[in-house]
Amino acid sequence: MSIEQQYRTRAKELLSAGEVKMVIGYGAGTTAERRRPIFITSPDETERLVLDSACIANLSGYLVTEGLLSDEKRVAVFLRPEGIRALNVLAAEAQLDPLQVVIIGFDLPKGELKSLQGSSVDDFTDLLGALKESTPDVDGRELLEKIEKMSPEERFAFWQEEFSKCIKCYACRQACPMCYCRRCIVDSNQPQWVNTSSHTLGNFEWNIVRAFHLSGRCVECGNCDRACPVNIPLRLINRKMAQEVLDSFNHFAGTSKTQEPVLASFKKDDSETFIL
Amino acid sequence: MSEPFEPKITAFVCTYCTYAGADLAGTSRLKYAPNVRIIRLPCTGRISPMFILKALQKGADGILISGCHPGDCHFTHGNYHARRRWMVFRALLSFTGIPEERIKYSWISAAEGLKFADLINNITEDIRKLGPFDQYHKLIEETQAQASL
Amino acid sequence: MSKIGVFICHCGENIAAKVDCTRLASALGDHPGVASSIEYKYFCSDPGQESVKKAIRDNNLTGVVVAACSPRMHEATFRKACAEAGLNPYMCEIANIREQCSWVHNDGEKATDKAIDIVRSMVEKVKRNNTLQPIEVPVTRRALVIGGGIAGIQAALDIANAGQEVVLVEREPSLGGHMAQLSETFPTLDCSQCIMTPRMVEAAQHPKIRLLTYAEIESVDGYIGNFQVKVRLKARYVNKSTCTGCGECITKCPSKKIASEFDCGIGRRTAIYTPFAQAVPNIPVIDKNNCTYFKNGKCKICVKSCPLDCIDFEMQDEFEDLEIGAIVVATGFQVQNNALYGEYGYGKYQDVINGLQFERLASASGPTAGKIQRPSDGKEPETVVFIQCAGSRDPSKGVKYCSKICCMYTAKHAMLYAHKVHGGKSRIFYMDIRAAGKGYDEFTRRAIEEDEAGYLRGRVSKVWLENGKLMVRGVDTLLGKPVEIAADMVVLATAMIAQPDAKEFAKTIGIGYDEYGFFNEAHLKLRPVESSTAGIYLAGACQSPKDIPDSVAQASASAAKVLALFSKEKLEREPVIAVNNESTCAGCWGCVLACPYDAIEKKDIKDRSGKVIKRVASVNPGLCQGCGTCVTFCRSNSIDLAGFTEKQIFAEVMGL
Repeated sequence: MSIEQQYRTRAKELLSAGEVKMVIGYGAGTTAERRRPIFITSPDETERLVLDSACIANLSGYLVTEGLLSDEKRVAVFLRPEGIRALNVLAAEAQLDPLQVVIIGFDLPKGELKSLQGSSVDDFTDLLGALKESTPDVDGRELLEKIEKMSPEERFAFWQEEFSKCIKCYACRQACPMCYCRRCIVDSNQPQWVNTSSHTLGNFEWNIVRAFHLSGRCVECGNCDRACPVNIPLRLINRKMAQEVLDSFNHFAGTSKTQEPVLASFKKDDSETFIL
Repeated sequence: MSEPFEPKITAFVCTYCTYAGADLAGTSRLKYAPNVRIIRLPCTGRISPMFILKALQKGADGILISGCHPGDCHFTHGNYHARRRWMVFRALLSFTGIPEERIKYSWISAAEGLKFADLINNITEDIRKLGPFDQYHKLIEETQAQASL
Repeated sequence: MSKIGVFICHCGENIAAKVDCTRLASALGDHPGVASSIEYKYFCSDPGQESVKKAIRDNNLTGVVVAACSPRMHEATFRKACAEAGLNPYMCEIANIREQCSWVHNDGEKATDKAIDIVRSMVEKVKRNNTLQPIEVPVTRRALVIGGGIAGIQAALDIANAGQEVVLVEREPSLGGHMAQLSETFPTLDCSQCIMTPRMVEAAQHPKIRLLTYAEIESVDGYIGNFQVKVRLKARYVNKSTCTGCGECITKCPSKKIASEFDCGIGRRTAIYTPFAQAVPNIPVIDKNNCTYFKNGKCKICVKSCPLDCIDFEMQDEFEDLEIGAIVVATGFQVQNNALYGEYGYGKYQDVINGLQFERLASASGPTAGKIQRPSDGKEPETVVFIQCAGSRDPSKGVKYCSKICCMYTAKHAMLYAHKVHGGKSRIFYMDIRAAGKGYDEFTRRAIEEDEAGYLRGRVSKVWLENGKLMVRGVDTLLGKPVEIAADMVVLATAMIAQPDAKEFAKTIGIGYDEYGFFNEAHLKLRPVESSTAGIYLAGACQSPKDIPDSVAQASASAAKVLALFSKEKLEREPVIAVNNESTCAGCWGCVLACPYDAIEKKDIKDRSGKVIKRVASVNPGLCQGCGTCVTFCRSNSIDLAGFTEKQIFAEVMGL
């Protein structure tokens, strides 16, 4: 039986047995290469589920939809390792109770579909621990290295060029599982810290602030990057910041459901090489 | 002959250590460069990255963030939190092309009036050498032309 | 519409000599929102303050900026003046153009430019200031003193003698602490029990003191003036209200060979016992782990011997909730386990003892009735070697710090030994003699000159048993020679360390501790008796090693702090505190985690049916100290700091 078929069966069993009230998974999209999230509540609908190498979106963000988990019933969700990390971050930040989430885990190493054993976040601790030690396979590594080698002026020019494309549609924010705030800082106008106009200064501020808010929390699922309609390489900033918190504080976001947020904690002997 | 470039520097300091240290520099009648404008806050823990972005928008060529030495924070550990935050934020700024050299950090206690005066002179010189932060200023000018801020 | 008054002070010549105050006043006069901009020689003077008040009334000012010296000098002065003129004092801010401008710049032109920026930025801030009221917190006038040693007793008595209620909690069956164990005390050699027991009795009988012995703190909630404390009253198995302390049960108890904690293992006690003869209260407890009845279900000899039927084996631990306004922590210390020093033979040779054990030997009420006898065979030692810094000042094996009291008590031990064993030889290995204190150096000199204490400067490397003698090998660094001494007894001047459960306890009550487990003071120099948590004070050796005079002094100091707090019905505090916008809060708890004061609580928001619909952060104004660290963590900008709001600082920066 294919993994897809196994998982359809599993989803059906979970719903039939009443173990979960909903399965969040992937369904067919508008084109052959696209998948869209589907929300299944009836065992009869599980045949609509699709699982293949096109299922790359991180679905964990749907779990924090207002009211979804407030009835204390459980929800099953298709997640890749990044999604499980996101689930841990959301649990660590008290946005959900991980006991209410049944994970249907899979991975896509080199585009090859693979099933993951386990159903609760704790079942994946070893997997996520190993992920921390591995070198991440990043799309655009060459570009990242190129940027790192640039002079500050060149870097500034590079990002100015990229950010000038930004139309402030906030698709990055909507797609991000970590952007669960009821009110985003950009929507706060007393005071208006971030210029909302889509001029370059406003774009610069918006993207810096978002990257800072994600530092130490981003799991690099790529949702924002794929959502960006003007193709700003947001993944590069997030990758850079993830590397920074790993190097400086040995922090890898989302390894456990009780992980302390890296920027809300400290060590007395944290590095301070930069302080005069 | 053109006048030497006078950098504009905005400082964010905690009231218990660095602000008091700056006062001590004053009561000791030490002399230092007049380029820095100080914003007083209760603790370095209160200093948000947003302040830096706004200071840059107002045309600052350099920024100074300063508070109590580790272990001396009046609020026990605001400065430890701040240290971690700045470690991350400066990496982010640097990656986006805002030079690390323009954003300075220091620990200055209420007793270090002399250190404060020296620091202000040194960073003023450093930033004078870097020259005006033209790239950012241009960004603001362009933006102002496009839309009223 | 803002109507801001700007008052530019010349400070005589201090400001005016550098800053062109007229240019400054006119620049600010033209600034939007400024209703009046005036200069004057000394605004802090009486006529100066009057002119500020007059301007407030004449122009109906909504805010005031005084451009003068540092706010650390005269902020309070001008805020008071504003209040007197009917303006909320928190609508007044100081622009510092003296310490941070006129005094530090040579170039008058540039100093004036800078002063304009400083004042303008402050005007922009004041436009966004909010009227604030000092926070009033009601105060429960009842103090809790934790620990019934000399520090705790002193604090309790001082507070009670000032007429305030005190609950004194001690976890042992009796008051007394370590001081009750001591023989004589330096530098006066007065008997410890003789000065201690009257204080114990006074505390127990004081009408304002409620004594809870054999009790421990379970939890502490709340904040300054309003703590809720849960105390566990451990089961004594003896009815406190009927027991007269006749001691019949103790005499009859068949389990007589239990090592006495009070005598540091040198003496023995029974299973039903009081720690020492002068115990307060003089009510025994049953040591459940060593009682024959509890072990085997048979015995009950004590029950039969009790004339008043006080013994109750069914007794359970009880809990009591207390409403408390202030807490004094006086939980004391323990002595380090010298078994860490295998080479000194502690634990291996019976006659290698620690300083506290020597105290018990020398104490008239101790197991030997004050005779110095070796634990092994009861013989009087002819030679005693004392080893100082056994654990202290030893980063590799012991603790880094100096235990402070050991130099003095070792000198005292040598003296007591000389007085009790005529012709006895004492040899003391020391690193330095630290005898700073009133009468202390004279005391050590007396030990050397009158009581022939033989001081050798150097460390001991090894102690071993040879032909019935304890051989002590060390080095005399002043002579530069190794020495070997055949001793009958070795006394280790053990390090004072934090209580074994100090860190856990600190977490329970919510105070800080250092790497050793000693409790942290709010400021080492300026607030040495306050913990970093408002309303919790420290006394005695729980904060750092201390001798009796220092412990008593600190206890009285913390009592003074408590009494100052209790002097008012309500506590008034600066209203610079965090405030959360509950409608936008996402409940991520970053602020809760970051807050140094545990001042942010998780609050349930419920719908009409009582169902929790969301949880948000809620700032406890009694605990918040106003650092603003939480504000910076809040991604959604929900939490803000009164007096330094996001809006105010935004305006300050944009006003530059």
